Amino acid sequence: MKAGFTLLFFTVGFCISLVSTAQTGKLTGFLTFEDGEPVAYAAVFIQALKKQALSDERGRYELVDVPFGAHQVQVSSIEMQGLNFNIQIDKPRIQLETVVKRAGEKVLDEVEVTGESVKNEVEKAGFAVNVLETKRASLHSLQTNDLLNRSVGVRVRQNGGLGSQVSYNLNGMSGNSVRIFIDGVPISTYGASFSLNSIPPALIDRIEVYKGVIPAHLADDALGGAINVILKKGAMNNLTASLSYGSFNTQQANVSGSYRNSNSGFTVKASGFYNFSDNDYQVWGKFVRNILANGRYEYVRAKRFNDAYKSAGANIQVGFTNAKWADQFYLGLNVSDDYNEIQHGTYMTIPYKGRFTESQAKVLSVNYVKSDFLAKGLEVNFNGMISDRKQVVNDTVKWNYNWFGEQSVGLNGGPILRPNGAQQGAPTINHINRNISTFRGGVTYSISEMHRMVFSHMYYTIDRTQRDLMRPAREREFIGTRDLTKNISAFAYEATLFESKFKANLFGKYYHQEIDRMDPILVTQNGETVKSEDKVSSKNNTFGYGLATSYALNNSLTMLLSAEKAVRMPSENEIFGSPGENIIENIGIRPEVSNNLNLGLRTGPYQLNSTSKLTIYASGFLRDTKDKIVRRINPRLNDAVQTDPFENLGKTKSIGFEGEINYTWNDNFSVLLNFSKFNSVFNIQYDPNGNEYTYYNRQLPNEPFFTINSTVQYGFKNVIQKRSALNFYYSFGFVDRFYTTWLEIEDFRTPRQFIQDIGVNYVFPSEKLVVSADLRNLFDQQAYDNFAVQKPGRGFYLKLNYTINKF
Amino acid sequence: MKKQFLNFLTLGVLVSSLALISCSDNGGDPIIPPGETEGRFITVAGALMGTNPGDGNGGTMVYSVTKEEAKDPETQISVYTGGFGVKSNRTARLQSSEDGSTLFNIAYTGDNGGEFSRYTVNGGGNFVQSDVSVNISQYAGTSPRWLKLFDGDKTGIALNMANIAANNAPTEENPNPTTPFEYYRGVATILALDLQESLISNYVQYEIPLTEEEEAAGHTIFRLDGSVLNAAKDKLIIGTWMRKYNVATGETEGDYERLGSKSVVVDYPSFANPTVITSAVGHGDNSGYRSHYSYLADDGNIYQATERDPNGSHILRINQNNEYDDSYVFSLNNALGLSGVTIEAWKYAQNGKAFALISHDGAENGFVVWMDLNARTASIVDLPYDADLEFNQYQGFVVDGADVYIAITPVGKNGNIYIVDSNSGVASKGATLVNQPGNHYIGIF
Repeated sequence: MKAGFTLLFFTVGFCISLVSTAQTGKLTGFLTFEDGEPVAYAAVFIQALKKQALSDERGRYELVDVPFGAHQVQVSSIEMQGLNFNIQIDKPRIQLETVVKRAGEKVLDEVEVTGESVKNEVEKAGFAVNVLETKRASLHSLQTNDLLNRSVGVRVRQNGGLGSQVSYNLNGMSGNSVRIFIDGVPISTYGASFSLNSIPPALIDRIEVYKGVIPAHLADDALGGAINVILKKGAMNNLTASLSYGSFNTQQANVSGSYRNSNSGFTVKASGFYNFSDNDYQVWGKFVRNILANGRYEYVRAKRFNDAYKSAGANIQVGFTNAKWADQFYLGLNVSDDYNEIQHGTYMTIPYKGRFTESQAKVLSVNYVKSDFLAKGLEVNFNGMISDRKQVVNDTVKWNYNWFGEQSVGLNGGPILRPNGAQQGAPTINHINRNISTFRGGVTYSISEMHRMVFSHMYYTIDRTQRDLMRPAREREFIGTRDLTKNISAFAYEATLFESKFKANLFGKYYHQEIDRMDPILVTQNGETVKSEDKVSSKNNTFGYGLATSYALNNSLTMLLSAEKAVRMPSENEIFGSPGENIIENIGIRPEVSNNLNLGLRTGPYQLNSTSKLTIYASGFLRDTKDKIVRRINPRLNDAVQTDPFENLGKTKSIGFEGEINYTWNDNFSVLLNFSKFNSVFNIQYDPNGNEYTYYNRQLPNEPFFTINSTVQYGFKNVIQKRSALNFYYSFGFVDRFYTTWLEIEDFRTPRQFIQDIGVNYVFPSEKLVVSADLRNLFDQQAYDNFAVQKPGRGFYLKLNYTINKF
Repeated sequence: MKKQFLNFLTLGVLVSSLALISCSDNGGDPIIPPGETEGRFITVAGALMGTNPGDGNGGTMVYSVTKEEAKDPETQISVYTGGFGVKSNRTARLQSSEDGSTLFNIAYTGDNGGEFSRYTVNGGGNFVQSDVSVNISQYAGTSPRWLKLFDGDKTGIALNMANIAANNAPTEENPNPTTPFEYYRGVATILALDLQESLISNYVQYEIPLTEEEEAAGHTIFRLDGSVLNAAKDKLIIGTWMRKYNVATGETEGDYERLGSKSVVVDYPSFANPTVITSAVGHGDNSGYRSHYSYLADDGNIYQATERDPNGSHILRINQNNEYDDSYVFSLNNALGLSGVTIEAWKYAQNGKAFALISHDGAENGFVVWMDLNARTASIVDLPYDADLEFNQYQGFVVDGADVYIAITPVGKNGNIYIVDSNSGVASKGATLVNQPGNHYIGIF
């Protein structure tokens, strides 16, 4: 609400400034706390002139057309203690750095207010976006994927417990049409070991989920949506650490800290995480059976025995912030490592023993941001990363195992060989190395407060080599290489008109992709057989464009409309396959094209009475996709392997709607309820004879089309100790049943899901220590994201969080 | 139609219960004489499209009518609207009992891949799955190839060839082998399924060597399928799909000089003593695709078709000594005066007469061919051939006396059951098969 008022002041002040004409100067300043953290969304006000500005996320503000002379400036935000100071405007440009004091005891609440402001701003810009804040959740033993799964219109589908393979469905668009970014950089730069599976919510500031229409600054060919994870940057000179332990021997730890020298601007940020789980949860039901020697089934209840997951990572950034020559300059190193045992293939029916993958990534990065670069209103940013990723898929155990982890015994009393030589396929110790370079540059030019232009370019290249130690040496020499290069340019024009009521963002994107494939071959030259290279390359160019607009009917009601002709190039995995994820190659795959439309509204917060508030969001969407790339459901393959390629399914259409209601009472009780329902249908109408396909307009198999999530929280103040807090939450996730194949028989239909969690946390009076306890899957239900793959049952987790500010 | 359906149902229940009683009373080896089966159900199977029209990957549906209904062109059968979905992610691997009262299926891929199940045929879309399921995936994988033997519905044989690797490929025990290259070989699995008791009754796993010279050149058995029992019922003859590796690069070769067609002969029922026999007449593979490719004929010899044969498909003869009879030469190219003839599926009827579903060079669609194995003659059966008629997934024929039932439907168009007289090669039109875009009928059981 406060943010709303400041915005209103800002608008009024701005309008007044338009009419001034005398000799004037411009005041530019940065607001920081004593610890160096920027003061965002503070109001800077010259009372006598009724001039007003709002500081941005970096604490930067600007007052233009200030008449020459002495003025009194007021700075206020509920985050800080109020401040008045005098200033003499005697030249056209004046720069200031102001250090302010924090507003005492209410630190925790205030940070939340700041967060909401960012959330508000992003959510009301016109895109169909929801912003997830991790602050509360990070106190609990929750994974980043859990948070996403609870948010509106997002369906996370995971192939088991912590660390298992995961895919995301946004408004009926899934697979690789959903792109994931970390701070605006494609997540493939980091690989499996630094992913949403491993990054703990505590290291994340917020997650922005864009559906269907993606802003230009996320320069990638995201067709159905983008998930942008924004890592924590804000708080300086602090240290936070947490430790969690729970069921299935799940251990999670993270630590992060930062330091800034307020004189030189020298800044160091570092963080680390560690995750481990045996994932030895019990599975049961019709998909869990041991096959006896004579082929008969014995249904069992068993613990998963080859599903452990371990990941660890560290990140360090060294540089300068808010210096004269750079708002931000960092050199960084990110290292991560994971080990992931694989319990089964696409389905849970045959347990594997000894199959695992290991991945590592080392990422060197450089980051530079400067506003008013060379000219007023011109901001430049650059982000370069060089990544060295390594992966090993290891599968050499040749015997069959049952769900008790024992060797299966055949009719003749001996062990039975796996039908393909190893657990999933042929024996393999396949080393896959990837060198990835990602360079992103952006220029933003603010023509005035009302008009802004954004240009960004991304260059991404990946060289992939592999070496399978289970193949004879001469065969290894004949394994080819695959290189992929992407160049994506995006241009956007942003306008804020009619007293900031109307916002528009018009953008165009140009995609260029190049794939080189080299396979060694033997050729005969002058009667001699020599090794040569068979090279194939493919180039693809295409355009996309879109628009996002919002109109604020009044302070609490905003209409949102966005549309994009989105394009997605086939990814490296889709073209060349990935043995670790059961994907085989498909060189001939084409780019996907989709016309996406969102129409929605955000209302609130409505002050229902003095103590309760209500916020409502509702949106409808259309995704009209051609050459859709999906994981093949029923491949036409004669080979006895459960591996599937990606392919162009043809035309599909997805129409649906989603909504979210948020009710809060007295700041200590809140209810969040969201739902999403869509119809994702086969969209090819006629066969070559002009007859209509029976699948036309029918729901595609294997799409979870109706979901509901809710979280209820209640907090007590001053329990046991003064100035402490005790908070409870309850949440549920509902997924309606769906068919997994076109053949609509009960055996191929998933059960209805209703999974409930509860949790509690206690905030000690100093607010440095928070203890939380969580009970996940309260009633030990059989939970499934993917058909016939059971997720963890009831689990109990305990977590300690510790924070030191201002050291 | 509804009333008719009820009649089938009543009749069906009666007939199937009679059939069951007669089976259990029989005790000994039920030898079914080549005669007509009274009141036999004719079950048609249709494949749903998956993602591409005609791919048949959306699953399989079945529907049954009486023999009389099947012969009547007035009967309309729509397996996709009135049929029963057989539990298989992709095209089911169906087989039927000789009297048509029971369907056997092994699910192909998916969560239940390798699962064998039995369905009692009750007429129309009424099929009742028996309680007992048995899964052969531990031995033969989740996408097994299997066939019923012609032994009175007692045995099914599933085959697999796994992990084809060079003798000097690294292993966990020996990651850096120094031995020179000698051969590529896989591990073969031969598995017997007791169809009546629904359990696995026997299996073996071993390597099957070729000659040293053949192996040194990179030849190996890539797949086994299309097994048939000899007249003495003491040997099982198994078809092969051959492959050649480039021994210098380890890559599979596409175009190479093929060896003579090979079959693997093993003792029955022990599956011991595998030997490889080689034809001098045919050079193609003989493992077939989803259906029988070798048949024991009335004369006690085994007749085997070839595919991917450089000179077009042949019918080869394996005599009662379990050896190829190279004096028997029957080339479909020569007999039909065409080139590039490929037998997609075929069925032996009686008295040396057989039918084959073929494609040939220059033809858009498939054809039905009437063959006289004794006279080594062949001719195309007179039928309305449509450009979209393809038999590449065809897998089921019913022989009833001298009649052979074949489902002929182009992809996405209506077609008919045809009843072809094996003595004359003349087809008569039976029930109409109502089709849907992208779907096709894949067999009669």
